[in-house]
Amino acid sequence: MPGELVRVESVTKRFDQVEALSNLTVELSPGTVGLVGPNGSGKTTLLRLLMGLIPPSSGRLSVLGLDPQREPLRVRERVGYMPEHDCLMPDLSAVGFVSFLGRLSGLPREVAISRAHDVLEFVGLKEERYRKIREYSVGMRQRVKLAQAIVHDPPLCFLDEPTAGLDPPGREEMLRLIGILAKLGGHSFVLSTHLLPDTEGLVDQVLLLDAGRSLAAGPVAELLSESSAESVVRVKGDPATFAAALAAKGITVRFDGSDLRVQLPEANTRPLFEAAHATQTQVRYLGPSVRTVEDLFLSKMGGGNRGSGP
Amino acid sequence: MSISAPRYVQGPVARAGRPWRILAIVEREVLRRATWGPLLAVALTWLVVVLEVVVNVYFATLTGGSVAAAFESPYESVVWVLLLLIVTATVGAGSLADDLGSRSITLYLSRPLRISDYLAAKGSAIGAWLLIAGAGPGCVAAGVTAALGYVSASEALAAVAGCFAVGLVMAIFFTGVALALSSLTRRSLYAGVAIFGTVLSVTVSVSVVAGITGTAKLLYADIVANVQSIAEAAFGRPSPYPTDPLASVAVLVLTGSVLAVLAWWRLTRVEVVGE
Repeated sequence: MPGELVRVESVTKRFDQVEALSNLTVELSPGTVGLVGPNGSGKTTLLRLLMGLIPPSSGRLSVLGLDPQREPLRVRERVGYMPEHDCLMPDLSAVGFVSFLGRLSGLPREVAISRAHDVLEFVGLKEERYRKIREYSVGMRQRVKLAQAIVHDPPLCFLDEPTAGLDPPGREEMLRLIGILAKLGGHSFVLSTHLLPDTEGLVDQVLLLDAGRSLAAGPVAELLSESSAESVVRVKGDPATFAAALAAKGITVRFDGSDLRVQLPEANTRPLFEAAHATQTQVRYLGPSVRTVEDLFLSKMGGGNRGSGP
Repeated sequence: MSISAPRYVQGPVARAGRPWRILAIVEREVLRRATWGPLLAVALTWLVVVLEVVVNVYFATLTGGSVAAAFESPYESVVWVLLLLIVTATVGAGSLADDLGSRSITLYLSRPLRISDYLAAKGSAIGAWLLIAGAGPGCVAAGVTAALGYVSASEALAAVAGCFAVGLVMAIFFTGVALALSSLTRRSLYAGVAIFGTVLSVTVSVSVVAGITGTAKLLYADIVANVQSIAEAAFGRPSPYPTDPLASVAVLVLTGSVLAVLAWWRLTRVEVVGE
């Protein structure tokens, strides 16, 4: 289907007794997608499925309109992949390594060499491109990994924890490079990360995973506006009495540590203040509950304090 | 630091097919192994075989002995098998183990390549080295003796065919051994020791047991006995060995192929993309 990046339909993946993905259904459009979740949430399993490296236990997948199980090679021709872990070839120079992987993606030798120089310059390794990779720092290795992922100019790139092991300036630089590539147009990125701040301002869609299940998926702006229907309330007084008064007015309320998360109908704050007045409670803070992807994730996870309420 | 985007976005490029991608791996693997260890092992094999053949052929022409026997003489010796074993260990041990150890196998298999493509490329590279070491010196020795006028062109050509046949069978067998044992570990040193240990221990133990029990069929598990039997047939000489040369070829080729399949099976179980 034109315009479709990834479609996952009721996909379950089991490894023996462990269910890595559980009946996952999601559809993503071209753009920059944040695949967000804690370690063990199924991010890497999803990437492996999307690249056709493992079959799903059930369900169907589509990447750029292709079925990765039936046409894995055609999918991998169109996909770039930046692995999380160190998997470089230390005996090669950066230019030798990147051009070699370009050739494995089907680029003719001369084109692969030319593009290797090009992308290494882009990632800031122009001066060091003839040095052996074994002499590179962690930051330089991450850049080489990014370079090999984009050398064949794929329309879709999977970046698995691209900022792993980087110091703050290195992380900023990596995110800046990804941002530049994303803005070029014609290229989509799936950025898998457990570092939620990495996605801020970079991704336009997000798939939140936890324990192999989708917590939320879709355009970031849409998800944030949906979730901002919820407000954070801090009160002085007895929050339990206040919450009971709100519930009596038919308002959904839940505890998030010492805060209350309240869904006010049509953003009407009147019932809230009426309940405060009735219970002799002071409202000390009232504001939208979700402002970032991190907030969204934590709210979907149950505020990060599941079960902490009274 | 560059502030410009890669220029390659200016236009698409026609992609090369799978054979070219496989060839890229073969090329890299052949060049990657061109280090002191393998080069010395190959050089030693060439030195031993070429010298032995040239000297034996020279004396055969002087004494009226069999030229074919002179060409076949290196393969009668355990030394040739040992030298080939050294080449296999130095060239093949790291073939898969290095990629598993560095986890660069992830990058190979995230490309439009099947595991069988990857394995075929690795096997071809090891096979190329083994052919250079196994068949190369015999062919060169045939050329040298023809150039020196010790043998006729037809005798030299027959010798080349014989050397190539023996070298090819051994290359298939040892490639399978190297792939299988290299796929079992992430350290090339372990794989090298395993290649040496397995082949030598099987050969020695089988020949001892066959000698004690008098069971000739056991010799099909003896690499040296198989090579000797195949070499006799390849050079058109009557075989004094109890093993059938065709059966020996079948045993070695089949064993090599089964071991290559074992390596493939092992790689299908390797975690790709993270652990």
